Amino acid sequence: MTDDTHALAIGLRQRDPDLLDRLIEQYQQRLYRYLLFLTGNPSLAEDLFQETWIRVLERGSQYNGKSKFDSWLFAIARNLVIDASRRKKISSLEELGDPESNTPYDPPDERASSVLQLLVSRENEQSVQLSLLKIPPYYREVLLLRFSEELGLEEIAAVLATPISTVKSRLYRGLAALKTAMTEGAA
Amino acid sequence: MNDNLHERARRLLAESVVEGLRPADETWLREHLAECNSCAQNAGATQNALHALRTVPVSVPRDLAARTQLRVRLRAQQTSAAPGGSFWLWAVTAASWLLGVFSAPLVWRGFAWLGANFGLPKLALEFGFVLWWTVPPLLAAAIILHQKALTAEWSNKN
Repeated sequence: MTDDTHALAIGLRQRDPDLLDRLIEQYQQRLYRYLLFLTGNPSLAEDLFQETWIRVLERGSQYNGKSKFDSWLFAIARNLVIDASRRKKISSLEELGDPESNTPYDPPDERASSVLQLLVSRENEQSVQLSLLKIPPYYREVLLLRFSEELGLEEIAAVLATPISTVKSRLYRGLAALKTAMTEGAA
Repeated sequence: MNDNLHERARRLLAESVVEGLRPADETWLREHLAECNSCAQNAGATQNALHALRTVPVSVPRDLAARTQLRVRLRAQQTSAAPGGSFWLWAVTAASWLLGVFSAPLVWRGFAWLGANFGLPKLALEFGFVLWWTVPPLLAAAIILHQKALTAEWSNKN
């Protein structure tokens, strides 16, 4: 346990409001981006962003400081996304934990994609954000965690609560799917 | 060039970004990419995809952090009152339990005296004795559940 994570664990156990303020500021970009690309829905991503921090407040005592705070935070957010997808029947997220299902992935409609597009910079002409939405969510999330959030394989496994072998397999398939989607988008 | 070599290069390329390569494989891949245009293009496409993924900028809604901070502070204030309330509830429950344990012989004698003087059936006396033990914790549980319901209702409204 490093001094930083130990201090963080103590602060969370004590529900230190200043610490929480700092963490919200520090992680706002990464957490919101993760939620936005996972849900494809800006309004839902905002709700889940707030809910995630409420959970951090309420369950802060469960963070023991032995793992990275990032992994713990993303695991909370992911569980909330799964809960929301069950509650609100968001079809694109229903298979978040089940990539082996035989149901073909149906990408979100054009309207949802265009709403999302408004939130990302127009400078990124490669439309990676739209390509991301074209690939199944269980691949999308491992790609984001690995290459955007730069979490290690073990940390991703902790977030997803799955074996490392599953994480690797999803990364390989997700990478291939992203390349295909980007090639089709560029054509 | 042998198809197996391209297949190996494709596999190593993916491995290099997902979990890293052994030095020998890394050297082989570098040499292969230097002399194979199609694999080099594939490597370029992979690097482009990863670069785009790493650099995609997302605009966080204005005030989202501030709104979240406010909401978290409100929730913290609301729930910080609860531990004090819980403490007293647990203290009263513990005191009630201790009193129940130590007063049990007296209570039993009291019930026996009632039975002897009023001719109550033994079953009624035993039932009364059981109630003496169970009613206080049931009341405490009801209060706790009521408090939790109120908290949940408050959080849903906010």
